[in-house]
Formats: sequence, structure tokens, C-alpha cells
Amino acid sequence: MKQDAFSKLHPAVNLLFFIGAIAFGVLLQHPVYLLAGVLASGAYYFMLCGRKGMKNILLTIPLFVFITLFNPIVNTRGATVLFTYFDRPYTLEALIYGVVVAATFVLMLLWFGCYGKVLTGDKFTCLFGNLAPSLSLLLVMVFRMIPSLLQKAKQIIGVRSSIGKGITEKSSIKDKLGSGMTVIGVLTSWALEGSITTSDSMRSRGYGTAKRTSFMVYRMTKADWILTAVMLALLGVIIIFAANGGMNAEFLPERNIVPVNRSNIIGFIAYLGYLMIPTVMNIKEAIQWSISESKI
Amino acid sequence: MKKSNIAMLIVFLALIPLTLFLGDKLPGRGYYITGVLIITELAVPFFMMFEKRKPQARELVVLAVMIALAVIGRVAIPIPHFKAVFAVIMLTGIAFGPEAGFIVGATTAFASNFFYGQGAYMPWQMMAYGAGGMLAGFVFIKNIIPKKPWIMAIFGFLANVFWIGPLLDTSHVFIMMPEISFSSFAASLASGFPVNISQGLSTALMMFIFGKPLLEKLDRVKRKYGMLQSETEAL
Repeated sequence: MKQDAFSKLHPAVNLLFFIGAIAFGVLLQHPVYLLAGVLASGAYYFMLCGRKGMKNILLTIPLFVFITLFNPIVNTRGATVLFTYFDRPYTLEALIYGVVVAATFVLMLLWFGCYGKVLTGDKFTCLFGNLAPSLSLLLVMVFRMIPSLLQKAKQIIGVRSSIGKGITEKSSIKDKLGSGMTVIGVLTSWALEGSITTSDSMRSRGYGTAKRTSFMVYRMTKADWILTAVMLALLGVIIIFAANGGMNAEFLPERNIVPVNRSNIIGFIAYLGYLMIPTVMNIKEAIQWSISESKI
Repeated sequence: MKKSNIAMLIVFLALIPLTLFLGDKLPGRGYYITGVLIITELAVPFFMMFEKRKPQARELVVLAVMIALAVIGRVAIPIPHFKAVFAVIMLTGIAFGPEAGFIVGATTAFASNFFYGQGAYMPWQMMAYGAGGMLAGFVFIKNIIPKKPWIMAIFGFLANVFWIGPLLDTSHVFIMMPEISFSSFAASLASGFPVNISQGLSTALMMFIFGKPLLEKLDRVKRKYGMLQSETEAL
């Protein structure tokens, strides 16, 4: 699988980035910060997924509209009443707050999408292999078993059709269901019997007799440490400015949004800088690549 | 006192109240973070118990098979909200007990999300799936309630509509709703109700047709190979 520049870093660095991005995406309700979050997560998601990612990003728009319009139905607080229905007010403030809720939701959706692309199963087990060895092993076995079980299911279906018990388009629903149940039953028996062989062979190779070492492909390099330091410094700046109220925004019952001005612009730059780390890394690598290409 | 029990006490008496107290001070939609933290804190003692017991190879592999079957039951059936996943999780709970049910449920949610894409609702999914498996384990413990197909089918339906479904729907309160209130909670539950019914029906159907044969298979493996006993006892 092709990896982007950010995914090549140590998984712990990736995890730290996503924890920070998602946590502050949820905490900061200021419209400017939300916009920055949506744009940064969208940009990175597009880089990771390409054209298919664009389709998913566009799909968030109807969700955005729905959540925005839905919010005033649940939430009736707010001073400016737009109209009433069934004696319930539909207020402007709640509608505006709906935009905030929807933006937070889209931002989380996109960041989690990126998270899924970057922190794949192998990286996750590498991170938590020492902390929870049995659970990590369980997860690794599951990932390995899913394709193997699907292949076994195909074999069973093949065998059944070769002895004249296969199902065709014309089979009745009862036959299809019955055949499906038989296949699942056989598959379960087969998988369970196979699991005994696997576990016996694990035991004979000494599973559980000593501490297991894990297969670590990732090492903290100098670049990883530098980026971790940068990220922690930026997070520190964000926390200082957020604690001083430079990123406050209230919507209900009254709008009260602290404007982004000279006194708190550093906080915003830190936030934007933090969110743009993966995107900037990718752009930097693309430029480097094209330079070295043009030298040839 | 066992280590995991001490951990459980610390979690319930100190960590969760502390999280609630500090989480209340967070700005914005901080309650999402509080929710995630509390679910994690609730799950940690269970996972710790599992780790500390140093499960044997046999147990691990069988659990892995059940998780893989459950994930396939979620991913492979093309009808939305009509999946076999809860039936497999509950049957594991019934056959191997509450703890195995929880582990299989929580791990299934986590593993299947690698196919569906991880989402903000992932902690709630792990909690709900795990709680479903655990409930099945507790309800059918020690053969007090007979494991008849129709009883398991009714249990599967009820557990989906009144236990797993509502637990899953709570995630909407934290993720999509503007505030935590009774009305937003009610709205989440109401919007999730048809999905829960459909999911419950599919689980009931699977339990009815597939419950007994699968339990027999699991029991057979348990008896034939001495599963989930200590390894020396089995030999």
C-alpha cells in the first residue's frame, strides 16, 4: 500500500496528532476555528483518498444541512424566533448553533476518516502490543482469519455445487436460505476444528512460556522526535490561548463570539499550523520529489 | 484482593467521578471527550482481567474465530441494519460466559470498523456490542433459562431493542445533538427505534434458525477438546 509522508512516521506520532486534532475540533466552538478544522481535515482526507475521497467529502454536505436544520427542532432556546410550529419556537440562534454542531460533526467524520487510513490495523497492534499482548494477538488473528474464512466459504460453496447441491438464480428462497445456513454451519465447524490445530501448534511452539516480543517495524527517528516536540509546543500554545478565553464563542441563548484579533491571532496560527502538519508534510515531499525528478 | 478488582474500585470510586468533574469544566462540546473517556475507563478493568488471566492459546484462537465470524456477519450481509453480528456475539456469550461475550463483542466492533471505517461512535459501539455479549452470558448462565431456539430468539429481539440499540443511540446524543438533555436523548432513541427493530428481527431470526446448531457445535468443541478449562486439566 502506498503511504503518504505523514503515515510513514511512527504510529505514536500519528496517534498523538489525531488525539489533538479531534479533541480540539470538539472543544473549540469558534466559527473561525471550526472552519480551519473542516478545511484542514478535508484537505488531508482528499490527499489520502483522492477522487473517491472527494465523493465522500461532498456527501457530508447533505448531512451538514440536515443537522443544521434539525438542531432548532430539538433546541428551542434563543431570542430571535423565526417562526413557530405546534407552539414550539424555531429560533435563529439555535439555527446558527446548528451550523456549529454540524461543522463539528463533519470535522470529526473527516478526521476519523483520515485516522482510519493512517492508523491501520498493523500500526495499532504495534502500538498496543506491549500494553495488551493477548488482545493485540487476538486482533491480529481476527484480521488474518477473515480472508481465510471467506476463502473457506467459497470452497464449501464450490464443493456443494459440484455434488449438485449448489444454488442458482432460479432456486427458491427456501433453498437459498437453507443452503446459506448449511454453508455457515460447515464453515463454523471447520473454523473451530482448525482453531484447535492452530492453538495446539502454538502451544507446541511455546506460546505462553515467555514474554512475547513484538514485530516492530517502526522506530522513533530524529524526525519523529522533532515533530512530537513541535506538536506538543503547538498544543501548549493552543491550550494557553484557549484557557485565556481567546477562542471563546457562545451561541445560546445569546451570540457572544470573541473576534480573532491581534491579541489572540497567535493561538489561531498555532491551531492552523497544528492541523496542517500532515498536509504540509505531503506538499513538501511532493515538491522535493519534483525537484529531484527535474534534476535527472 | 485481586489486582483487577482494585483497578475496578479505583475506576469506579475515583477516576470516573474525577472525569465527570473535570469534563464538566471543558468548553464547547467537551462532553464528547468526557463520554469517550468514561467508556474507556469502564472497559479497561474488563480488558485488564482478560490480560491478567493470561488466556491460553486455545481460548484465544476460538475467540478469534468467533470474532471473525461476527465481523463477517456484519460485513458480508448486504442488507443494511439486518446483520448476523449480534446473533454471533450473543451466542458466544451464551456458550462461553459473560466475559467471553464482552471480549468478543467489543473486539468485533473494533475490528469490523477497520472495514467500515472508524467513526466518532466507535467507543459506544464497542461498549454496546460488548454489553450485548455480556448480557447474553449472564441471562443464560448455569442453564436456569433453557436454551431453546424460540427463547433465544425472543431474548435476541428484546436485547437488541432495549439494550444494545439504546446504548448505540446514546452516541448520537454526544455526537450530533446540540446539548445533553432529556429531549435530545428521546429524539435519538426515537430516530434509532426502527433500526433497532429491524436489527432485532434479524437477530431473532438468526438465533432461531442458527442458535441451536451453533451452540451444539461450540459445546462439542468444548467437550471434545476441553476448551476454556485449564490446559493441564484438558490433557
